[in-house]
Amino acid sequence: MVPKIGVYICHCGENIAGAVNIEEVRAYAEKLPGVVVARNYLFMCSDPGQELIRQDIKDGLVDRVVVAACTPRTHEPIFRKALESAGLNKYLLEMANIRDQDSWPHWHDKEGATAKAKRLIASAVAKAAYLEPLEDRYVEVTPASLVIGGGVAGMFAALDLANMGYKVYLVEKNPSIGGNMAKLDKTFPTNDCSACILTPIMVQVGTHPNIELLTYSEVESVEGTFGNFKVKVRKKQTYIDWDKCTGCGDCVNACPAKVPNEFNEGMDYRKAIYIEFPQAVPKRAVVDIAHCLNCAKRTIGTKPRVHSKTGEPILAPCEKACKTGACDRSREYNPEGEILEINVGTIIVATGYRVMDKAPFKEYSPQSPNVITAMQLERILSATGPTGGQLKRPSDGEKPQTIAFISCVGSRDKRFHTYCSKVCCMYMLKEARLIKEKYPHLNIYIFFIDVRTGGKDFEEYYNYCRDLGVKVLRGRVGAVDELPGDRLRVRAYDVDLGAPVELEADLVVLATAIEPAPGLEELGRKLGITCGNEGFFKELHTKLYPVETSVKGIYIAGCAQGPKDIPESVSQARAASSAAAVPLTAGKVVVEPLISEVNQRKCTGCGTCVQLCPYSAINLVEDKDRRRAKIDEALCAGCGACAAACPSGVITLHGFTNAQIHAQIKALAC
Amino acid sequence: MKVGFFIGCNTSFNRPDLEQAVRHAFPALGIELDDLEGQSCCPTWGTLPSVDVVGWCAVSARNHTIAEQKGLDIVTVCGSCYGSLSEAKYKMEVDPELKAKVNEVLQTIGREYKGTSNVRLTYYYLYHEIGPEKIRASLKYTLGGLKVALQPGCHTLWPSKVYYDKEEDPFHPRVLKEMVEALGATVGHYTRLIDCCGMGAMRSTDMEKSLNLFRRKILSIKEEVDPDLIITGCSSCLIQFDTAQEMLRREKKINFEIPVLHFMQALAICLGADPEKVAGLARTNVKSVIGKILPS
Amino acid sequence: MSQVQGGIGIINLSAGDPSLVNEIKELGGEELLECIQCAKCAAACPMVLAGFPFFNKRVIQAILLGLRDALLDDSSIWACQSCNRCTEVCPREVNPFEIIQAMRRVAIREFALPTLAIEGLKSLYDTGHAVYLAGAGNTRAKVGLPEKPPSTLSYPEALKEVRTILENTELAELGVIPMGESGVTDSCEV
Ligand SMILES: Cc1cc2nc3c(=O)[nH]c(=O)nc-3n(C[C@H](O)[C@H](O)[C@H](O)COP(=O)(O)OP(=O)(O)OC[C@H]3O[C@@H](n4cnc5c(N)ncnc54)[C@H](O)[C@@H]3O)c2cc1C
Ligand code: SF4
Ligand code: SF4
Ligand code: SF4
Ligand code: SF4
Repeated sequence: MVPKIGVYICHCGENIAGAVNIEEVRAYAEKLPGVVVARNYLFMCSDPGQELIRQDIKDGLVDRVVVAACTPRTHEPIFRKALESAGLNKYLLEMANIRDQDSWPHWHDKEGATAKAKRLIASAVAKAAYLEPLEDRYVEVTPASLVIGGGVAGMFAALDLANMGYKVYLVEKNPSIGGNMAKLDKTFPTNDCSACILTPIMVQVGTHPNIELLTYSEVESVEGTFGNFKVKVRKKQTYIDWDKCTGCGDCVNACPAKVPNEFNEGMDYRKAIYIEFPQAVPKRAVVDIAHCLNCAKRTIGTKPRVHSKTGEPILAPCEKACKTGACDRSREYNPEGEILEINVGTIIVATGYRVMDKAPFKEYSPQSPNVITAMQLERILSATGPTGGQLKRPSDGEKPQTIAFISCVGSRDKRFHTYCSKVCCMYMLKEARLIKEKYPHLNIYIFFIDVRTGGKDFEEYYNYCRDLGVKVLRGRVGAVDELPGDRLRVRAYDVDLGAPVELEADLVVLATAIEPAPGLEELGRKLGITCGNEGFFKELHTKLYPVETSVKGIYIAGCAQGPKDIPESVSQARAASSAAAVPLTAGKVVVEPLISEVNQRKCTGCGTCVQLCPYSAINLVEDKDRRRAKIDEALCAGCGACAAACPSGVITLHGFTNAQIHAQIKALAC
Repeated sequence: MKVGFFIGCNTSFNRPDLEQAVRHAFPALGIELDDLEGQSCCPTWGTLPSVDVVGWCAVSARNHTIAEQKGLDIVTVCGSCYGSLSEAKYKMEVDPELKAKVNEVLQTIGREYKGTSNVRLTYYYLYHEIGPEKIRASLKYTLGGLKVALQPGCHTLWPSKVYYDKEEDPFHPRVLKEMVEALGATVGHYTRLIDCCGMGAMRSTDMEKSLNLFRRKILSIKEEVDPDLIITGCSSCLIQFDTAQEMLRREKKINFEIPVLHFMQALAICLGADPEKVAGLARTNVKSVIGKILPS
Repeated sequence: MSQVQGGIGIINLSAGDPSLVNEIKELGGEELLECIQCAKCAAACPMVLAGFPFFNKRVIQAILLGLRDALLDDSSIWACQSCNRCTEVCPREVNPFEIIQAMRRVAIREFALPTLAIEGLKSLYDTGHAVYLAGAGNTRAKVGLPEKPPSTLSYPEALKEVRTILENTELAELGVIPMGESGVTDSCEV
């Protein structure tokens, strides 16, 4: 049967028509082999636009459809629906992207753009002639979800799904959930105490019957696809029996080893055995084995020596102090931890961020203890921090009289991160305000490049800070010199005064950039999702699919996607949880039939494809006399690696068959 | 060990005593100096670099080729030469197209720039090739008992990306300090250490502004260190420190004088050179300091 | 239309010259447009501290707005110390010093250069040394050195090489200094 192809060319308002001569292209398309009709319309995706297609199908005029418009990424589903509703198999559609791949990049070359549109359409038409009807497949969905990262975003995503009745695994690499928000003192724009609003959420997460908390754990590998992911999680060895540990802290008090305290940003020490912070959930001790002194020669996994006189075992202080028996150093030494296998239908990634260290910024004298990061200041201001909430400068514990803030440290900087970290303008104002409200006589200067306070109530917040007497200067600091007496000289050019300025300060606070959490790229590789240039996870579409990723069933939320504040992180988390719940609620998901198939009769069983398949979807199975390749439909992702490599040419990738691709290339080449 | 000595205009004609200092100290430490016969101006910033990049790099590259042909590194006492030669080399390294254009020009004189010689500043060279310990051991006299303030000079620090010998932290340089301490002096820190002294284009454009800038620096030295001697790492800084104090005094803008030597001069004296030859052109009262260094 | 209106110093943006940006980019200021006017370069620039009206950040802004006349009427760009502290600290890798150099190159193409620069170039052509002091021979002799350093001064064929280079670069095309036999003054005798 000779195919009857209809070509539908979209103006996309001015987006395409502004560069492509639509009528010329339409007339050209009409003459292409197999084309029975070529039409154009202002917005093909609008209802009247779709109606053109539907009518032609219903009239029996066309049985193959080529839409020359924008990107199939957003619009293919719409046009497929149009075909379906007119009674045509929806896979008899081919799109030519004459907007993103033509009119936009060649906007200033109208002739070239028109010529290119013709070729793209010719190639789509050539392929369309070979299209074949395909049937969707459905797979059952595992009604559970995995959330990676237990910051405020991950916690909200987990809670929402758990409250909907789904099983949620929450994997957090630190001993406790809470993330960076747990370190903050008070939070803009309403200045509520971070711990006060966060702790109840942490407790809810920790006690929710549907949430299985896997802290001190990391994702090891991810297999499977949308609806049925098989995830291996490595639970790191804590060296403490968490079932027995009550979080009393007796072992911590007894331990003599001192280690810089990550939670207080290195400004004081924790022990080798430690509980991450007072409100930790779960509140359990872990042994930092790298820093453990193995007191009394009690290396983990050894039997205690026995006292020659008393006959009592000689124990380490931590063991001796522990009343519950949770701390027992005779336990097996297993630094690899244990691997848990879990099955989930969807995954939400909320791995957050880390703040840059001050060390790279040599021009700001980072060797001075009185030059600190804003996160360190959060800890100094916090009641659970190294100074118990007292404003003290690190060098000698004196109260600083003059404080200078420096913005954009490592942000908007080609040597580090070109993006704006988005929250630092506000948190500098917040920290200044918190200090100024407590100590009105302190002098506070904030050096901005420009003040970025877009957001609900943010500009008012900024004005209020100015009213409090916080001095705002525009001009990035160029140098910080160390002065005698642990003081610092801040040097800048005040753009508004048009003059160089110098300020002697007791404390200099650097608003260091928010950067992707360490290991984000590797995690991305395991999940198959990509990072943008700046290193954060990339959403599928900035506006329309902001929490989806290029992998179906995997969603992102919070600072893992880019710098943002708490309100935004939480909104995004709750959007992600609802997106992740959709397939769980539906119970089954459509799997596109665009997968590979082996013509088993002709397969020689060479096994080339087996090695290549990144999804391990191909096996050699005994079939009569010999072994032949067989593709597991549920595992095949349709990447086509096998089809391209098969030396006998007996693998077909449906939707991209050899005949289709060859026709397409041939049309493009002429 | 042998190295090509790039003298530079200011040292050749303004402070040849500094040239003598290098000619004394290097051999005394076992390093032979090659004259790089036919060397020219580096060229300095206000000339060809301000006209066009190719011309600048071509004259610079010609100087490089003299050392390249002999298989030697280039060593200089002048910060400006160090900067201009290093930056031209860096530019040609990162921009092969520029290098090709330069070589087209050099073809007219039968030379080819390859980029095989490194540009070094005297005291960094000695720091890395000889080391402060060995230098200390070679001294006949020391700066023992003298309090010294330093002037490393902008061109020894910035832009750090173009230099072969780098300070670990150019905002808090260490090398000159270690070297001067190797001579036995106590080095006093002042907070405007890395600020510009005002020599160079600024001084030729507006003497008054240049002197004001210098004044800020010398006052910081006086107030924070009050040294017996200032030691510079750059010949241009040497000239500024040597002459600008006198000018400020004449204008009654300062009322003190601190003797000034380039590091190579101090080193040469400690290695037993004749002070008249290696520091005889100083305008400040270096005799008093030299008196303290040499046994009476 | 003039760029600065009637004595009161209002800058007339409409009279800005949009071609200046490209000119600067072609003359070595490639990274000009990366500048976000953060003013970090100005914070410790010696020109700022000494009180020159135009310096890295401000030169860049003036270039972006095409204020050619304002820049050429002022000698600031010639006071840049080439210290490169700005290049070291600029967060956008603009190389602000290179922008100033590029602006000097623009100025030279309009013959708006200080006498000292002309003298330096001429001296470079005549002697191979941009900075050359009369009477230097005596000074050198005083400290026990030969009157001429082992440079172009001592090796005429080397000087010839330098001149050939200069004759084959843009300096010759610009005609800023006289070249060829006629141009050479005998000042190179020490
Ligand atoms: C100094 C400072 C002050 C701030 N002040 C405010 C403020 O006042 N108001 C406001 O709204 N916002 C503020 N913010 C921003 C706020 O901190 C963030 O918006 C918020 O913490 C983001 O939450 P999150 O869950 O996305 O990320 P995070 O809080 O970073 O949580 C991510 C979690 O994921 C875990 N994780 C990372 N990688 C992995 C992995 N591979 N496997 C398992 N777990 C992993 C981490 O350990 C962490 O627990 C401030 C930020 C800074 C730097
Ligand atoms: S053995 Fe116990 S008490 Fe000793 S350092 Fe290790 S954890 Fe601390
Ligand atoms: S939020 Fe403000 S301080 Fe932070 S990078 Fe952006 S502009 Fe700079
Ligand atoms: S040149 Fe660099 S440092 Fe100077 S204002 Fe522009 S971006 Fe900032
Ligand atoms: S190189 Fe010029 S513009 Fe840059 S800091 Fe030095 S004097 Fe200023």
